[in-house]
Amino acid sequence: MKPAHIVIIEDDVTLNDQLADLLRKRGFTIDQCHDGQQGLLTALNKHVDLVLLDRLLPALDGLSVLNRLRKVCETPVMMLTACGAEEERIAGYSQGADDYLPKPFNFTEMQLRIDALLRRSRGREDNSVQQHNLQIDGLSLCRRQQQVIYDNQTVALTPIQFRLLWVLVENRSEIISKPYLSQVVLKRAFSRYDRSLDMHLSRVRKKLIDAGMAAERFVTVHGKGYRFA
Amino acid sequence: MKNKLLWKLCWIVGVGAVLLFWIVDRVVQQTEQYMSFIALEHQQQLKAYGQEAEAILNSQGQAALASWLLSLQEREQTWAGVVTTSIKPLAKGRLPKQFVKGFLLGRSIEWKIHLYFKENPIMDIPFSDGYTHFLIRLPQRMRPGIYLPYVHLLLQIGLPFILLCFLSLVLYRHFMAPLQKLKKATQQFSNGNFDVRVKAALGRRDDELTTLAHTFDEMAERTGALILTQRQLLADLSHEVRTPLARIDMAVDCIEHNIHPEKALSRLRYEAATMRELVEDVLTLAWLNNEKPCLNKEDFDLVELISVICEDASFEYPERILRTELPEQAILQHSSQRALGQALENIIRNALRHTDNLGQVVISLTKQASLIVIDVKDHGPGVPVGLLNDIFRPFFQVDKSRLNHSEGSGVYEGKKRGGFGLGLALAQRQIAAVGGYIYARNHYQENADSPAGLHMIIELPQKA
Repeated sequence: MKPAHIVIIEDDVTLNDQLADLLRKRGFTIDQCHDGQQGLLTALNKHVDLVLLDRLLPALDGLSVLNRLRKVCETPVMMLTACGAEEERIAGYSQGADDYLPKPFNFTEMQLRIDALLRRSRGREDNSVQQHNLQIDGLSLCRRQQQVIYDNQTVALTPIQFRLLWVLVENRSEIISKPYLSQVVLKRAFSRYDRSLDMHLSRVRKKLIDAGMAAERFVTVHGKGYRFA
Repeated sequence: MKNKLLWKLCWIVGVGAVLLFWIVDRVVQQTEQYMSFIALEHQQQLKAYGQEAEAILNSQGQAALASWLLSLQEREQTWAGVVTTSIKPLAKGRLPKQFVKGFLLGRSIEWKIHLYFKENPIMDIPFSDGYTHFLIRLPQRMRPGIYLPYVHLLLQIGLPFILLCFLSLVLYRHFMAPLQKLKKATQQFSNGNFDVRVKAALGRRDDELTTLAHTFDEMAERTGALILTQRQLLADLSHEVRTPLARIDMAVDCIEHNIHPEKALSRLRYEAATMRELVEDVLTLAWLNNEKPCLNKEDFDLVELISVICEDASFEYPERILRTELPEQAILQHSSQRALGQALENIIRNALRHTDNLGQVVISLTKQASLIVIDVKDHGPGVPVGLLNDIFRPFFQVDKSRLNHSEGSGVYEGKKRGGFGLGLALAQRQIAAVGGYIYARNHYQENADSPAGLHMIIELPQKA
């Protein structure tokens, strides 16, 4: 697969270079822009997989860049915001970004979220090859009917709970990060104090345990994410 | 009473205006009447003419009277004459008494003159016989009320103008006195004197303007407090940032000199994370403080939220006992899972941090008619009674040593730090943002004087 192409639109030269270096090292193709106008042109003209967009920019403000970009294409945008509370304001503005990362952030967290965004957008593209059924040790999931059967009993799940279980079972034995789950399951940006993912998981787990599944199959890896064993 | 100022205005303007009209009317009437009479000296003069005419007629005859009349007419630029009358009733009528003795052909000199008639009236001075009359058209120079138009102007325009000006002055002073005080206070406030208040300076007055003063006082109170809090927050923040910054500098030096570079790197990572959290918390705090948001978009199960948080917390503090007394379900409507989640996380973590190893933290949830009450009890040193409200102040720490008393100072990674004293401040504002209320008290064991631990009570409104 071709390495993902990322545009960094960030006016702080040092931070921009640091991000570019770290992301190149991870194998991404990087374009660096230092103002909104130039950034918007780059994001529109090239084939871009992801845009990292600063909120405050010279020439053209981050929100305006997002707004104009959204009129033309659906390229995933991760907004780098200065304040956590700003998220809500941005959300109310236009269609919003795909993810928000409050400054300051660390690279590990950013990496997790970038992976989540890229997997989500690429997943959207190759929908055709997706499976319709998953089966593991007496647990079977049917995507078309949104049906879950464990040990010959039907387990009733909401669509969100079904998606959550599907992603975990599909990536069995792999630790799935919360930012990724938030993107794929809740279809929204992850936030540190957002507990809805944990609450959904706890409900799914409870229902499956009630149906007779071993509690150990759902592993919480603290600080990292969840795993279905 | 509502709209006091309106009533006051109605009273002053209404009564004042009616009184004004009445006074002006009376004065105009009186003056006009007074001015309608012929001046006394002119009355004398006319009477003297009459007597003179009578004397000439009696002593010198009609020819002399005629020439006298001519010269008089010349002198006074008017008409004059002497006539005689006799009244004969027809058809067997009888004369009433007033006509027997004689009657007037013109007007008596003691009567008022109609000032609105252009022509001067004919005055009648009867001779002593009663039926001979000296008649003279009132000479122009003797006509009274020449100044009436000017007097009218003065009374109907000048007088009301002066009185209304006076009324305006009274009203102006009545309204401006408190406004001036308010203006002065506003100036002082903008110059940085946040203690200035207006209401007390207005004395016993009680109307819309004192309400305004009261509103100003409230604003001054809140804004002053806000500015002081922000100042304090900034000072505390820069103070808190110094220590991690110093440690970062030290760690960089350690790496340069190749002293335990791995340890120094993990130190750098830890300090950066700490500062990041600090900044995030302060920003959230400032947001909650300044915008006072109302978070009410979500419905969720509080029991589930608490369970999820407890699961994480007991992972972080495996050596404490975390006991929960929760019902099957407690659906909370129109709230925010994120705000409440962070608040509860901070409170529960705080409780665990202050509880010794093998100590117990109890979390219980009870549903009441219109409230959901969450109790979090720790088994720690508690908080001095006088400081129970202060623990919700940003950067407040009861005792810095207390916070670290169970935390190995060398262990940082994977463990939550002592905190900056922002957790409870945030929690209080987050709970307020979802319409709830939090307070703290100590709980005691029976017959014990020192507290057994701190008891946090969170009350959340629940719509039935």
